[in-house]
Amino acid sequence: MTAIEKYAVPRTVEEATELLAANDALMFAGATDVLPQTRSGKRAFKPALVNIRCIDALRGIEREGNSFRLGALTTVTEILESELLKEHVPVLVEAADSFASGQLRNTATLGGNLCNASPAGDMILPLLLLDAEVELASRSPQLKGALARRRLPLCDFFLGPGKTRLEPTEVLTHVHFDAPGESFVASFRKFGTRPAMDIAVVSIALGCTMEDGVVTKARVAFGAAAPTPLRGLRTEALLEGRTLDEETLAAAAATAREEIHPISDVRGSAWYRRELVQTLTGRLLRNVARTED
Amino acid sequence: MTVIEKTSLIGKGVPKLDAPKKVSGEARYVQDIELPGMLHGKILRSERVHARILSIDTSAAKNLPGVHAVITAADTPGVPLGHGQDNPPLKGDRVRSMRDEVAAVAAETEAIAEEALALIRVEYEDLPAVFSPAAALLDDAPILHQKHPDNIPFTYEYGHGDVALGERESDVIIEDTFELHFVTHCCLGVSGVVARFDPEGNLTVYSQTQMPFLYKKEIAPVVGVAPEKIRVLQPAIGGGFGSKLDIYPFEPIAIFLARKTGRPVKLVFTREEEFIASPTRQPVVLTLRSGVKRDGTLTFRDARTLHDNGAYTSWGATTPFVIMQTISSLYRLPHCRYRTTVVYTNNPYSGSFRGFGNLQATFAVESHMDKLAEAVGMDPLAFRLRNAQKTGETTLQGMVFRSCGFSECLTTAAESSEFLEKRALYERYRKQSGPIRRGIGIASLLHVGGGAKIYRSDGCGTILKMDDYGHVTVLTGASEIGQGSETVIAQFVAEELGLPISWVSVVNDDSEITPWDVGVHASRTTFVAGNSAQRAARKAREKILRAAAENLGARAEELDLRRGHVVRAESGESLVELPRLLRSLHFAEKSDLVMTTEYYEPPSVAQDREFKGDVSASYAFGTHVVELEVDTETGVIRILEVTAAHDVGRVINALGIEGQIEGGVAMGMGYTLSEHLLVEKGVVQNPSFRDYKIVTAPEMPEVKMHFIESHDPEGPSGAKGVGEAPAICIPAAIANALANATGKRFYELPLTPEKVLRRLKDSRADR
Amino acid sequence: MSLEQKIELVLNGRKTTLSIPVEMSALTLLRDVLELTGTKRGCDEGECGACTILVDGVSMNACLLFAVDCDGRAVTTIEGLSTVDGLSPLQRLFVEKWAVQCGFCTPGMILQGTYLLSRNKDMSVTDIERGIEGNLCRCTGYKKIVEAIREAAEER
Repeated sequence: MTAIEKYAVPRTVEEATELLAANDALMFAGATDVLPQTRSGKRAFKPALVNIRCIDALRGIEREGNSFRLGALTTVTEILESELLKEHVPVLVEAADSFASGQLRNTATLGGNLCNASPAGDMILPLLLLDAEVELASRSPQLKGALARRRLPLCDFFLGPGKTRLEPTEVLTHVHFDAPGESFVASFRKFGTRPAMDIAVVSIALGCTMEDGVVTKARVAFGAAAPTPLRGLRTEALLEGRTLDEETLAAAAATAREEIHPISDVRGSAWYRRELVQTLTGRLLRNVARTED
Repeated sequence: MTVIEKTSLIGKGVPKLDAPKKVSGEARYVQDIELPGMLHGKILRSERVHARILSIDTSAAKNLPGVHAVITAADTPGVPLGHGQDNPPLKGDRVRSMRDEVAAVAAETEAIAEEALALIRVEYEDLPAVFSPAAALLDDAPILHQKHPDNIPFTYEYGHGDVALGERESDVIIEDTFELHFVTHCCLGVSGVVARFDPEGNLTVYSQTQMPFLYKKEIAPVVGVAPEKIRVLQPAIGGGFGSKLDIYPFEPIAIFLARKTGRPVKLVFTREEEFIASPTRQPVVLTLRSGVKRDGTLTFRDARTLHDNGAYTSWGATTPFVIMQTISSLYRLPHCRYRTTVVYTNNPYSGSFRGFGNLQATFAVESHMDKLAEAVGMDPLAFRLRNAQKTGETTLQGMVFRSCGFSECLTTAAESSEFLEKRALYERYRKQSGPIRRGIGIASLLHVGGGAKIYRSDGCGTILKMDDYGHVTVLTGASEIGQGSETVIAQFVAEELGLPISWVSVVNDDSEITPWDVGVHASRTTFVAGNSAQRAARKAREKILRAAAENLGARAEELDLRRGHVVRAESGESLVELPRLLRSLHFAEKSDLVMTTEYYEPPSVAQDREFKGDVSASYAFGTHVVELEVDTETGVIRILEVTAAHDVGRVINALGIEGQIEGGVAMGMGYTLSEHLLVEKGVVQNPSFRDYKIVTAPEMPEVKMHFIESHDPEGPSGAKGVGEAPAICIPAAIANALANATGKRFYELPLTPEKVLRRLKDSRADR
Repeated sequence: MSLEQKIELVLNGRKTTLSIPVEMSALTLLRDVLELTGTKRGCDEGECGACTILVDGVSMNACLLFAVDCDGRAVTTIEGLSTVDGLSPLQRLFVEKWAVQCGFCTPGMILQGTYLLSRNKDMSVTDIERGIEGNLCRCTGYKKIVEAIREAAEER
């Protein structure tokens, strides 16, 4: 068991990246994943423990024109209760509503959910629909006290269960996306054996932009159906340019079923996950079609 | 002149006496106990499912700073415990399951104790293992306990009438095999104990036991302390449901550590340990053959059950007593045969769990009742009413139904839920398009309601005393495990003595102070402890009225006790305040206090060698109707409404009884739909709340409750027990509702969405 | 040897300063260091809600909170809900409604209920049920707990 030698509470992103550059550090904010994982031994403490929860610059849900910027410390409750998000990106609020429990929603942060990179990550799926990008900051190698920033599309962020492209010296600072516009109809469905407290057996987020009854843009994302949250590119390709008639729905659902790579575990078998993805994809598309009418 | 009307506490929603302590956070549970110098104990459990222990090296652990003792079987007397006397607290030569206790540590903190566990080196030599009764019964199966080379520690055989005759009399015979699974209690308070020796070698144990007096008797030989030197204190208990009815290794282990270190030792499970190591509900494979005549009369049942006993024996092995009661006596049955084989395996072992085998039995019997009804063209209600027993009947197993609200339960639940109308409607709906279907199902239960004479005594003692101010202290042997026994007891006493409930205290948590009670099980506490308390209070009442009569120059029959006053019965006129009367009795020339005792033994009999006899002083009945919705494309079941009609004899606490029903329904629902302790090759796969799903608040359906008061002649104020009843017929009612909705029968639990979907997609004809 | 950190928090209305190991959870701080055993350990992994406390008025699982992260914050436990005048209205209703059986889940339920009541006075039964979805109870079937919270909402 690694002994912790240093505990720090940076107040700015600069301070945080400075600490990460100089130490072998474990970062936390809400700690809802980090604490139980260190307790169970799934994750080891490092010599430095860095609490980034007090960095005000990482808070806030901001909109500039059509562009949204969510601070990494935004809690799931804040997302759930945001009138702004409810109006412009309701699918994100839908996902927040299905997240664990009230207590966990109050504490868990957006950044934490993304960096924990669970294949089932509830908040990840709607952000994939929105073509979101993550902003990562580290200490600038050239300019002392300054930050180097980079942006990655969220769909490229995940490498495997629990693994992301976040470097040990980086802090995930913000999530960026553009509001998709009124003609984009989307929903999120998490499926567990009970309504509450469930890690998903599967989850789906699905959205379509329609023009004159034809799908001009389709976005589909699956959770707990592959090693990482998965964009359903083949399902999207099938939908684009078509009307949402029964034939399209059936074809899309069948494609969704085939393009996921689910495992069998205590929550469900691969067969059952495929069944659900097929059924739920069809239902979500039917909802979209109905909303359009 | 003060006039006081006659009022009654019986049937009222008197708030739970210990609730204020619990809502303020003051109540101390065993997990909260702190004693000076206390050490923390932890258990090293087996890494193998079945293996010889070649060596245990505790030297590194012993040398860890902060560790006060490390023990193995060699440090203990090796006397086995538990119902089967086959479970040594620490295993010395062999481990037979993943929960087996191999060593234990006492240290200054939990963290140090856990670190010490990691330093203990055990060398194992694997042995072949068996994970099902079928595998354990094969000729070449490993022998798990030398005493039983065939791996069969128990068999049961029961019969009444003549099954061969019953078969000949039948116009329809059906046979099915039902498979019931592992589930676990999930008490919010995990297992734990604190043990302390005093300098004279007297042992005090802070235990969550449901049976403090039998605990003393049974643990004494295991720990080598005379039972009279053992004191059992019961802090508030974080849930029981039968999990604390037997003694499990962790308790003697804590006691050994306390003796070795000379310090108090507290040993508390982690939640993961709780899932792995606490007793489960008995899994059962039940093959049932049932017959019926064309006119709707039941003819026979022939049941064979196979029990996975796990690696050691606990109360799960005695569930056949209860299963056979339902097989033989739920509905009128002329012919019956029942056989059980209990088989050792390397799986977890089962204890007692609310319902004690009756959920499993009722699932089978009540599924068959629906099938039989259909086979003879009767509706499920009429068929059940035809075969339901009435007051005064004796079953062929010898149970006498002195009070029996069976038919009323059936008709009340059916009417209240519109069962027949909805059933017909939902059967028609099966043909409609769309994935959602609705179904409604009915099932009844029979359970003991007046104790169960399975031990030499089924009694409960009460000691009652009154002070100079009218305050009554009731010392009862009956434990409180959350069900509200202390409140019901206080109600009986306050009722007899005409006192406000706030004048009554109940002491029930110290074996040195309270008189004997066999324990909280068999839904017996309201009946047995209630009768005991009521009679002790009646004696006090008589004494008070005699004294009052003498003082006031009246006749005792003319007087009454109301709201702390002695009154003229007819007019309600207060003659003297009770405290005043008590003081005048106390300080009279022949001074005396009001102190009374009662030991109540129910008039039941132990079963004979053929398992026949009136084993309980009364019997409880109930009927549940469950309405549900099923999504035939995902397999998800949503329970919409449960209508519960229970024959409780008499409602004593209107809120407490509802609490039992609501909690029992939730437990039954979990058992049926979402709870499954997944054991694969002897290893628990889901030892956490994340993947072991108990019911949460949003899943609860509407629960409509009806209480049938059949006024049991022996019950206190007519009451019978109800603690286990509400969980018992939920599984069957859900399965029957699902059959109504889908046209398909399910014979295995739990009915998870995946299992339901697989079955619905199975195009083979329904059986 | 654990690294220790000094923290200052307001605990049940009182300013409290202490030095604690950095890896300690808030639950362990409350129960083992401060001997406030009203907050219960049900699972130690955020699944049961028995350890629910309020931090700056917001409900959280104490088992998922680093104790050091309580620095500068106001923490309320079950012990802080009753005053010298007695039980809070919600505590009183839990007693009256038989919302307590074994009582182990009760402190967590009451803290979560207190939080819900502070956010929304207009809760339906469904809102309340969803509001306590992270609090497990094995005894009551939740009905009377929901009733107690609902009536507390009406009383305000």
